[in-house]
Amino acid sequence: MSNKDNYPDINGFFGEYGGKFVPETLMYALDELETTYQQLKDNPEFLKEFYKDLSHFVGRPSPLYFAKRLTEHYGSANIWLKREDLNHTGAHKINNTVGQILLAKHMGKKRIIAETGAGQHGVATATVAARLGLECHIYMGSEDVRRQSLNVYRIKLLGAHVHPVDSGSATLKDALNEALRDWVTNVDDTYYIIGSVTGPHPYPMIVRDFNAVVGQEIIKQSQELFQQLPDAVVACVGGGSNAMGAFYPFINEKDVRLIGVEAGGKGVETGEHAAPLNDGTPGVLHGARSYLMQDEAGQVKDTKSVSAGLDYPGVGPEHSWLKDTNRAEYVAVSDDEALEAFHQLTEFEGIMPALETAHAFAYLPKLLSELDNKSNIVVNVSGRGDKDINTVAEIDGIEF
Amino acid sequence: MNKLQAKLTELKTNNKKALVAYLVAGDPDLDSTLELMHLFVKSGVDIIEIGVPFTDPIAEGPIIQKAHDRALKLNISLDLIIDMVVEFRKTDSETPIVLMGYLNTFISYSKLLNSSDELGVDAILVVDIPGELKLTNYGITNSNIDTISLISPTTSNERIQQITQNSSGFIYYVNLRGVTGSSNLDVNEIEKNINKIRQYTDIPTLAGFGIKSPEDAKILAKSADGVIVGSSIVEMIDSAKTTKDFSEIENYLKDLHKAIN
Ligand SMILES: Cc1ncc(COP(=O)(O)O)c(C=O)c1O
Repeated sequence: MSNKDNYPDINGFFGEYGGKFVPETLMYALDELETTYQQLKDNPEFLKEFYKDLSHFVGRPSPLYFAKRLTEHYGSANIWLKREDLNHTGAHKINNTVGQILLAKHMGKKRIIAETGAGQHGVATATVAARLGLECHIYMGSEDVRRQSLNVYRIKLLGAHVHPVDSGSATLKDALNEALRDWVTNVDDTYYIIGSVTGPHPYPMIVRDFNAVVGQEIIKQSQELFQQLPDAVVACVGGGSNAMGAFYPFINEKDVRLIGVEAGGKGVETGEHAAPLNDGTPGVLHGARSYLMQDEAGQVKDTKSVSAGLDYPGVGPEHSWLKDTNRAEYVAVSDDEALEAFHQLTEFEGIMPALETAHAFAYLPKLLSELDNKSNIVVNVSGRGDKDINTVAEIDGIEF
Repeated sequence: MNKLQAKLTELKTNNKKALVAYLVAGDPDLDSTLELMHLFVKSGVDIIEIGVPFTDPIAEGPIIQKAHDRALKLNISLDLIIDMVVEFRKTDSETPIVLMGYLNTFISYSKLLNSSDELGVDAILVVDIPGELKLTNYGITNSNIDTISLISPTTSNERIQQITQNSSGFIYYVNLRGVTGSSNLDVNEIEKNINKIRQYTDIPTLAGFGIKSPEDAKILAKSADGVIVGSSIVEMIDSAKTTKDFSEIENYLKDLHKAIN
């Protein structure tokens, strides 16, 4: 898990992005976490434990699956699906929580907290906490509690407490605020499992490293299945963890295009979206400097997306750096395009993606028009769509 | 020596403790804020701390969060707050003013903050930068504005040393692990930590977070050079927002003033 690019730097910066912008009370906790992680990340015993859990608890490796009908439909590049939706609990989020709970265990923390948007990270956190018998609290915006009610109940079944957050826009951003407030208050015995490559250093690095198994497997599987690296890797970007995990092992493979798809909401041009890399400016939120949706006064703007997991005004700092250095491309698709892609993948491949994931697929028409049938692309299927059935039904005007 | 340093030196010479009172700019509106600032001074407040509203105030408890939200509904931004401070300075050139808020709003107005020596603001306290860093690290270079650093119960000795070396104005000692308005003061721990800070610096150390009653203030003023009171005042401002009868606050501040001296 060692870091070949030496990013972030010792202060937690990726170029001019990242850092530790937190209240002083949390500085020692971040230092403690960083020290623990540096000690463990290349420790063979720790890695053995982590990879054992990934195989036997998560069910890794996840397949790289050839999407035959979708490929035929577009008549362009071969489309391969990285099946993170098949992981235990139904998304890539479990890779990170399995890793971070091991850190929590090593640090002797008794209480686990997390924020969640779509509820997938909440479920993944409650799952690993249950497995170790640890007290677990999940903060979730009340708007998300409504639209992801299935996951709320799953979290409760797993024995965790769900705290709905009413402040601000009552979505992921506000859940993060509340989780940070909890952490400041209970910092001595509490481990905060952040759910994406966001937040203060060392979180963006840790969450990336635990998700990098996705990209590592893609490299190996591509070589086995089509004897070369893919021409492009495509992933949706909320905070950016599934994308970062898929991209990271490819950063030095300059011929592989890395494409992150943000939530365009009602359309980037309307201003009602959640696409900071497409339509934001650098700012500081939740402990890091990164692209941010903000007004001239430095106030964070409300976001809009059909997908709770992408409905966030910020993005992981490493993505900002990949954008500025032109190593990755960031695009946006609208709610409508994502919904269409949701139905398309379900009908063509028998795979129902999460609405977050559907954003990655919604960019395919554009991308495939630039490629030919000798190319191979990998789309990261970050999660499955069961949690979104209510939302989709509501939009389609169906009542149960 | 700026107004803040002068005030703190004067208090120290007279063996007095500083009373710092907090309010959120624009709650319930900017005219009231201006009125309240003058009332604060009349009631024995030595230093005024103005909260700059932010959409995501992660260090605030529910009372101050709601005040931020109310101010943001009126689109209170830092430029309007500076205008109000300039207005305040027309009749009060003495009382030190500290702005307290979050980095993103300050960097958005760095040009304005660097534009003049006459903004009337004496110091800025940024909640979400580590204590050893200063505003100059973020392009706010006005030499008339001190950066107030925070030290908390969890700050290591090594960090205390770094932070105190870089500090000017005063050290803001955060009394507790938690957000503003909490109520779990551990007096022994506070006393111990303030004494520890004094081993590293002669800059005054003021204690804030969780101070509600005059009794709390009195106990903490034994070890600290002053106390900072926020949530209780903001709560009273909210109760008086329609009547604009702020006499409860006046009485409360007078009691605090008496209690610490
Ligand atoms: C299935 C799925 N994909 C993607 C995301 C977005 O997060 P990230 O950008 O960190 O991968 C979420 C977040 O909840 C999710 O549940």
